[in-house]
Amino acid sequence: MSALEISGLSAGYGAADVVRDISISVPAGEVVVVLGANGAGKTTTMRAICGLIDRRGSIRVDGVEIGSKPADVVNAGVSLVPQGRGTLGTLTVLDNLRVGAALRRDRAAIEEDIERWTSVFPVLAERVDQRAGTLSGGEQQMLAVARALMARPRVLLCDEPSLGLAPRIVQHLFATLRDINSEDATSMLIVEQNAELAMDLASSVYLLEVGRVVRSGTPASFREDTELRRAYLGY
Amino acid sequence: MELFVERLLAGVTNGSIFALLALALVMVYRSTGTLNFAQGEFALFSAFFAWWLVGTGLPVWAAVIAGMVAGFVLCAAAERALIRPVQRKSELATLIVALGLFSGLNAAVALIWGTDTKVMPSIVPNGLEDYFELFGARVYGDTVITWVALAAVTILMTLLFTKTELGLHMRAVADNAESAALTGVNTSRILMLGWGLAGAIGALAGSLATPLAPEQLSVTTMFPIFIGACAAALLGGLDSLAGAVIGGLIIGVVEAMVTGYVPLVGGAMQQTTAMVLIVLILVVRPNGLFGSKELERV
Repeated sequence: MSALEISGLSAGYGAADVVRDISISVPAGEVVVVLGANGAGKTTTMRAICGLIDRRGSIRVDGVEIGSKPADVVNAGVSLVPQGRGTLGTLTVLDNLRVGAALRRDRAAIEEDIERWTSVFPVLAERVDQRAGTLSGGEQQMLAVARALMARPRVLLCDEPSLGLAPRIVQHLFATLRDINSEDATSMLIVEQNAELAMDLASSVYLLEVGRVVRSGTPASFREDTELRRAYLGY
Repeated sequence: MELFVERLLAGVTNGSIFALLALALVMVYRSTGTLNFAQGEFALFSAFFAWWLVGTGLPVWAAVIAGMVAGFVLCAAAERALIRPVQRKSELATLIVALGLFSGLNAAVALIWGTDTKVMPSIVPNGLEDYFELFGARVYGDTVITWVALAAVTILMTLLFTKTELGLHMRAVADNAESAALTGVNTSRILMLGWGLAGAIGALAGSLATPLAPEQLSVTTMFPIFIGACAAALLGGLDSLAGAVIGGLIIGVVEAMVTGYVPLVGGAMQQTTAMVLIVLILVVRPNGLFGSKELERV
């Protein structure tokens, strides 16, 4: 069964739909990548899944239809690392992590998770009492991922995690995502513009153009297609 | 010397009221990022409500608490029903709605309770003999209770923001409502709660202020207090609790000194003083003494 099953998703802002009839399946424990140019509707898809904008269609987690409020989505086990990171700049790193566990009541386990993610991301451990706004872009991205993981999601959504980061940091980030995926079997849906690194993790890839899924397949099938490779993978 | 101490204490007392209302302003600013121009009139409505309850035979302390509850409900409802629908559209619209609330609440008070002056009794014994001496100056019960109230509200708010999960969620929503929502925080509830608590604190300020006010409780009682509270909140930096308290005390004392020591026009200078201070703060130090500067690395 799919960890996350999106079928017939349409959403937009105001009267016009930005994405139409999107269907994406994230198999349990696997990583799925969504490719697409600027304006293809990647972020809109993510925001619709998380209940930040109105949506139509069906979203199931482990076969169960989930509600449309952001809290319902988190409760169902889906957490988003938003585009542009969305760190709470005036709060400390530690408080950011605590906010990530907003819906959890297991205090002891929350403390354990804070321990865990600050050891996975040592830059955060050094800065727990520092205001998140003073962190570098890479550090803020690590914090955004750690904060989303604090909810103990079954499915982690990442919206352009590499955006604006140095290549070395992007590599480190994806290596960490790979570890989390293999250790915890956390399923992932990663949206990327430059997706070569993300493709290495993926079991399947979807291509989004002007709000629709126009193609899906294995990473290998995408790499074999010269045109796709030039347009989206840049080599 | 006695006169100076008396003026100082009077300044601290007025300043405590400014500070309480400034704390309400900070509460709203921290939850929705708006300066609630109607905060003083919410307090006025709640104070009249408390006065009316005293008239029905309720003890003063119970009436003040009931007034705070009314302030909470009124402010939370205003946020949900009137502020939120326009807030998404523009900052200016929010400001206009707040101004509308200002005149609407004032008119409602006049309509329900009339424009004549009322006498709101003090919550503590406040007779001519109920005082103690401090450096030769007489300190009455209604003075002390404002100091105590300010200290209690400041401590409770500090504990709320720094020690509780609710406070953490309130800070998260103030920082970035969408990010907070993504973690599952119920931002709608948090915003109403922020406004509600501001309404309750404002109601306390209103109920404690009126026994001290020269013209007692009337439709114009809260306006000068609101101006002082605005100056206090701005001086403190709009988002700082400590700033609002220190700002309130400074504004109160400066006003008392100008009123007391500037010859001839001094007595008429009270609100002017606050207004001049507001302009000076905005020009010289827009972030106030303790306000957080926009700080972000990208």
